[in-house]
Amino acid sequence: MTDLIIETNQLCKSFKDKPALCSLDLQVPVGSIFGFLGRNGAGKTTTIKTLMGLLHADSGSASVFATPVADADRSVEIRRRIGFVTEDKELYPYMTVEQIIRFTRPFFPTWRDELAQRYMELFELPPKRKIPDLSKGMRSKLMLLLAISHQAELLVLDEPTDGLDPAATEDVLREMVAIAAASGTTIFFSSHQLVEVERIADHIGIIHRGKLVATGSLDDMKAQYQRLNVVLADSVSPPAHWPEGVESVRQEGRVLSILASHNVDAIVEQARAIPGSTVERFPVTLTEIFLEHTRSN
Amino acid sequence: MLCYKGWLETRFKLLFTLGFVCLNLSMMHSYSSNIKTSVLLFMVTLMSQMMVMLACGMLAGAGINTQPTFQAAKGLHGSTLFTLSLPVSRLRLLTVRACIGWLESVGFSAAFCCAMWFASPLLRAKVAPFDLFKYALTLIVCSSAIYLLSVLLATFLDEIWRIWGTMIAAVALGWLSVHTYLPASFDFVRAIGKNSPLYTHTMPWSAMAFSLALSAAFFYAALKIAQAREY
Repeated sequence: MTDLIIETNQLCKSFKDKPALCSLDLQVPVGSIFGFLGRNGAGKTTTIKTLMGLLHADSGSASVFATPVADADRSVEIRRRIGFVTEDKELYPYMTVEQIIRFTRPFFPTWRDELAQRYMELFELPPKRKIPDLSKGMRSKLMLLLAISHQAELLVLDEPTDGLDPAATEDVLREMVAIAAASGTTIFFSSHQLVEVERIADHIGIIHRGKLVATGSLDDMKAQYQRLNVVLADSVSPPAHWPEGVESVRQEGRVLSILASHNVDAIVEQARAIPGSTVERFPVTLTEIFLEHTRSN
Repeated sequence: MLCYKGWLETRFKLLFTLGFVCLNLSMMHSYSSNIKTSVLLFMVTLMSQMMVMLACGMLAGAGINTQPTFQAAKGLHGSTLFTLSLPVSRLRLLTVRACIGWLESVGFSAAFCCAMWFASPLLRAKVAPFDLFKYALTLIVCSSAIYLLSVLLATFLDEIWRIWGTMIAAVALGWLSVHTYLPASFDFVRAIGKNSPLYTHTMPWSAMAFSLALSAAFFYAALKIAQAREY
């Protein structure tokens, strides 16, 4: 059985009777780079805030490092082992870059000055500059520096590349992968950017309207999901019912486009049973999987 | 390091408050020729009350909220989220920040009393140094209730509203005190006014004890709010 670093069971959270999380069962394996995907308002930030102890769940449970996050005393110990990058990347406006580093360092016994120095140089952060004078990209990099310089076992990154230019995005993604590869740090990050998630994540969770609608290893997902193009013979109608595993069927002229999430062989067999039809199988992208699960209803 | 953060948050407010004091002291210096003792003591206590209330309002803070309420209501909590992601309990965040502001206001009260002593030859002539020392002590203890009320307000109001809230509460307490609606033994506003050691030459222990009890209650309420709040 895989060790889990984050686990939620039937986690629910509402804001003024509007459900934000509904029975969320999330499992993040140790050492993974877990991309947490969802549309705006799907519940990504609510999940992250609940894991960080910033929100209190209405029901269900959440644990990080096998420690319940609802326990205020023990959540301090959890936070000591986590590096967190917030969604809006705001830091104290009255501090400079070097002051915020000096401020953060003593909270973490595992802090390494040489790491902080390395990232200062790598990210080209000006030590004397006040935080409000930094661009959003620089603030993101500074938050990442603060999160990783204490050798966190788990990085929780809420939209780490949001608002960054392509060069800054590239820097951040490269470092995320390097950190995970070098130290085995687990990275749990939320994002809208499917291309970058597909590039670096090895595990995926898709949340829609507060529910986890798909999760698993990215490779397994891509292996399970396939698109089938079925070219029908003239005047042949497609079957009304398909085997289990068909997520969607679209028809354009004589071509049926089927997205299958599992049981692909049985679906192919049924498609081939249609007189005069030809069937082709294609791999799918993460974008297709995401869109399929997050279309309304 | 939380002390360092607290100092950075309050240093300009402390400077502003001290600047206000200098202005008042210069006025006091120019008015201190040939006035009656009763008028002098009234001026000293009134000015002390005003200055200490200003300091309480300016220097208090809860150490957690850094974002204006209207932004927080939209889910924009700014650097508050960074503070809360640190491996520190909300109790410690609140306590350290409250202590920093309190120590500054203590230093402020002591410095204000000393400065009055040096600025006014008339005060030196008419008030015994030990009475002024007792007054400074009373000022520190009795103003702590107002200070902790401001800390309590800081857990759910942003800066401007917290300062206004503190001022309004202080004025309301002053009004209650003037109209003797508060029992004399619990009236900590009167204890730094008409019932102060400058007039009575004795310490108003019961009022000081009541102020401390009220301070503890305000701090407890602030802590409960800080622990329960969601961000």
